[in-house]
Amino acid sequence: MPELLEVRGLTKRFGGLTAVSKVSFSVSDGEIFGIIGPNGAGKTTLFNVIAGHYRPTGGTVALGGHDISGHSSDEIARRGIARTFQAVHVFGTHTVRENLRRAEVLRLRNSPRAYFSSRKAAVEADRLGRVAGFVGLGDVLGLPAGGLAYGLQKMLGIGMAIMAAPRLLLMDEPAAGLNSSEKKEAGLLIRRLRDELGITILLVEHDMPLVMGTCDRILVVNRGEPLALGTPAQVKADASVIDAYLGEDYDFA
Amino acid sequence: MRTRYILLLIAALALLPWLVGGRYVFHLATMITIMIPMALSMNLMLKIGQLSIAQPAFMGIGAYGSALLTIRLGFPPALAMLSGALIAGALAALVGPLFLRIKGVYFVLLTYAFGEIINLVFQEWTSLFGGNNGLYGIPKFSVPGLRLTQPQHYFVFGLLLSALVYWCMRRVERSDIGAIFQSLNEDEMLSRALGSNALSWRIGTFAASAFIAGLSGGLYAFYIGFLSPEAFGFMLSVDLIVINAIGGVGTVLGPVLGAIFIVPLPEILREAREYQLLIYGVCLVVFLIFFRQGLIAIVQRRKADA
Repeated sequence: MPELLEVRGLTKRFGGLTAVSKVSFSVSDGEIFGIIGPNGAGKTTLFNVIAGHYRPTGGTVALGGHDISGHSSDEIARRGIARTFQAVHVFGTHTVRENLRRAEVLRLRNSPRAYFSSRKAAVEADRLGRVAGFVGLGDVLGLPAGGLAYGLQKMLGIGMAIMAAPRLLLMDEPAAGLNSSEKKEAGLLIRRLRDELGITILLVEHDMPLVMGTCDRILVVNRGEPLALGTPAQVKADASVIDAYLGEDYDFA
Repeated sequence: MRTRYILLLIAALALLPWLVGGRYVFHLATMITIMIPMALSMNLMLKIGQLSIAQPAFMGIGAYGSALLTIRLGFPPALAMLSGALIAGALAALVGPLFLRIKGVYFVLLTYAFGEIINLVFQEWTSLFGGNNGLYGIPKFSVPGLRLTQPQHYFVFGLLLSALVYWCMRRVERSDIGAIFQSLNEDEMLSRALGSNALSWRIGTFAASAFIAGLSGGLYAFYIGFLSPEAFGFMLSVDLIVINAIGGVGTVLGPVLGAIFIVPLPEILREAREYQLLIYGVCLVVFLIFFRQGLIAIVQRRKADA
């Protein structure tokens, strides 16, 4: 049985700069997998290559045994990989309900052909409500998304991503911009996404307590290269990891 | 609701040619109804955030296509008109995957070049298109039991076509497609991350807009009965941009109002022909500075005050 996500020798060069160099790892079904590294380590580039935002220079990404490297971001989304963004990405002038409905419409009616060949995508109201409740937005369905607090807008981003019932959810710094209590909630939510909805999670994050407390396994990258891979305890004890972070004000909680 | 009043006003205006009478009034009115679908075809592209200068070329393909299919192959006019529009749509679908990867001013330049190439083909392939001497002998439009010979016949035909295109675009705007267009405009990265195939939507829209322009071209060919390449040149694109800007690009009704206002303008300003472009320019500047949302916004505000 192939792993859910298999990354093999992934490389991304921008001109002369090698942002990601021969990174390999795999994520099993039901795992919460974290990628960390100092600033400029290539985490975000790695994330964007997997999400189809960049085309890899070399190596492969496979989902459930199928090679998806070089596919466009929307193709990858349709194959069951959802993503959230580091900054807030919502349709700000529309209500929370309309945002969640659009997530469904954009996926099911993804092209003119899909639009005209399938029956109208009836978004089940109770499913929309369940997703809203899950991310804590059940009471604000009728409010414009742009007017919500930053933390709630990030929750809406997660809500829109899980409307698709993805197999794998890629999260780009879910804790960025959140206060400490919101960070704790985000950590709990990530666990609930896996435990209650069965969604496998790959996250890139700066916030050490969140990563250490939430992830099953962690990949540490530095200067585009894999440095260490293991459980939070193994990674924390790894001499090369401590070395890479030396001089930086990181708290391994 | 207010849109309904404006539509009623336009319907009343459509009766005006019969009250005033005369071939020339009907000619102007028919030209308006030919330009309405054209303006809407450009507006459709603007809805996905792309300014296409190729719309006159697609109109030309629809026009020459309809004409040649009836003259050379003996197609019935209705079938020829539909085929001409389909050829225009198919060509757009063919070049779309290449063109629509490009955005902004580069897309404008690309469609400009494409339009010029098509126009050159009309000019230089004289054995088929008649070149700058024009293509003559296009029969009048007819369906079994009905032959359109008089300008007022074509005016009614044009009204029906304009109404049909308007109605379709309103339906699209209110449907999920409208929501999809909006989403792609507001946040393409998010829309694609949710699974939307942005490129295929753009190609589909480009093909649909070319099809509409092709229909308009077919009507033009059967109405005028004579085709010459300059009718489908760059100046027509300028007119369409002016119509959209002055009418208002935000709504479907805007370009309709724009066409009603702009198309008769050269005739009204006939005495001042040399100042025509100047007046166009001044109008455009005034609207872009003071009435960004176009005529439609002015009309709607007046109604709201009343």
